[in-house]
Amino acid sequence: MSILEGGILQVFAGINTSDLVTVVWIGFFALTFLYQTRIQSYMALSEISRGLNKLKVMKDKARKDAIDYLVNVGKAPGDPSQRVDQFLDYVAIMPVDMDPAGIVGKVDHIVTTNNDRVRAEVGALLKQNNPVTVSISENLLEVATSLNQIHKIVRHYYLLGKKTNSYFTLVQLQMLMPMIIQEADALLNAVDSFKLGQPVGDGIGPIVVSRFMAGKEKRVIAKDTVMTITEYKGRKLYVLKADGPMAYVGQPGVAIQKIVGEMGVKPSAIVMIDAALKLEGEKTGEIAEGVGAAIGGIGVEKFQIEEAATRVKVPLYAILVKQSILEAITVMRKEIAEAADKVTQVLNRVIEEKTKEGDDVVVAGIGNTLGVAQ
Amino acid sequence: MMSSVPGPDKKSKLLVYTIEECPVCGQKTKRAFAVGDYVTKEAAKCSKCGNPTRIGLVYAESMKQSG
Repeated sequence: MSILEGGILQVFAGINTSDLVTVVWIGFFALTFLYQTRIQSYMALSEISRGLNKLKVMKDKARKDAIDYLVNVGKAPGDPSQRVDQFLDYVAIMPVDMDPAGIVGKVDHIVTTNNDRVRAEVGALLKQNNPVTVSISENLLEVATSLNQIHKIVRHYYLLGKKTNSYFTLVQLQMLMPMIIQEADALLNAVDSFKLGQPVGDGIGPIVVSRFMAGKEKRVIAKDTVMTITEYKGRKLYVLKADGPMAYVGQPGVAIQKIVGEMGVKPSAIVMIDAALKLEGEKTGEIAEGVGAAIGGIGVEKFQIEEAATRVKVPLYAILVKQSILEAITVMRKEIAEAADKVTQVLNRVIEEKTKEGDDVVVAGIGNTLGVAQ
Repeated sequence: MMSSVPGPDKKSKLLVYTIEECPVCGQKTKRAFAVGDYVTKEAAKCSKCGNPTRIGLVYAESMKQSG
């Protein structure tokens, strides 16, 4: 035994176990008191890092699936990887909103330019011009772009929080991660439905109105949007939806503006059928009725419909089918599909109750019309 | 706040079906979805009355639900 070891043993010989435990506890509390936020930051960092890895796997898979689809189904000549990577980083810059007057027109212009560019880009990538394949390719690239964007934003805040040692940045991001992962997971799941051309939950509106359009004459009323004029119990119906079975959402706002403007129709009611995000606890496939423009998106279409309805003083009625974000963008679930019959009954009742024989009625099926023709 | 990032997926597998409807007699036939199916597409002849049917719905059921 060395002199040093002997000295240490002598020191500890004077301390009993209970004192030692007390010292350790005080040390532990002092450490946690002084370094509490630092410890939590490390925990947040490790959790965000796990989520970030998951997001990376998701965005890489979406990119690979899009490229595979372009090559195998779209018969893209050569390797489209480089063009796809450029596509993923393409941005649409929204107009300045310091002077908000007329901003909807500006947003519409930017969005239309972006949509046209996407279609032209996809058209240039593919060797064929089958509209279904082109529209599915557009949607797959949009999913890949969204996942790429989500991954970039999360990575930005993760690295910023790490660099600046900002506890609050990290904790906020950590708390948001479950929701971000859930949304990203929904997007990734949508890829499989899109590739196979299966109707998605959001297509419930188009499915209902397609029953009024099947086998009847159709005309193009706006970009990617078709309309049929038909009759129901003495009422003249102007039924519209996006042109299926392509993965389009169409321009129902432009279509309704044309019906009440250029065509000079004075409808007694505009009835819109759309999917609506359910709240936790609500049942998938539940139907809700209401008033107002039932349409999502950036707001341009909604503005156009509200503006047209207000101009001619026409009531807007909404029929909504509840579903989660995952159910809305992935293959249609049985509960949603089975709501189609009930929605048709509700639609018929609304038309009968709110209008009379000889009236004109606009019926719009809103949503992605993939796998739903007319 | 620990382990709030969701773990690996535990979702049940979905089976996708196509429902063919006869516009004359209303007979409905359920079969597995095939690529190229879409709602309103003309389908096989009705097994009951022989008239051409149309695809009325395409939907997914979880394996658990379908037994």
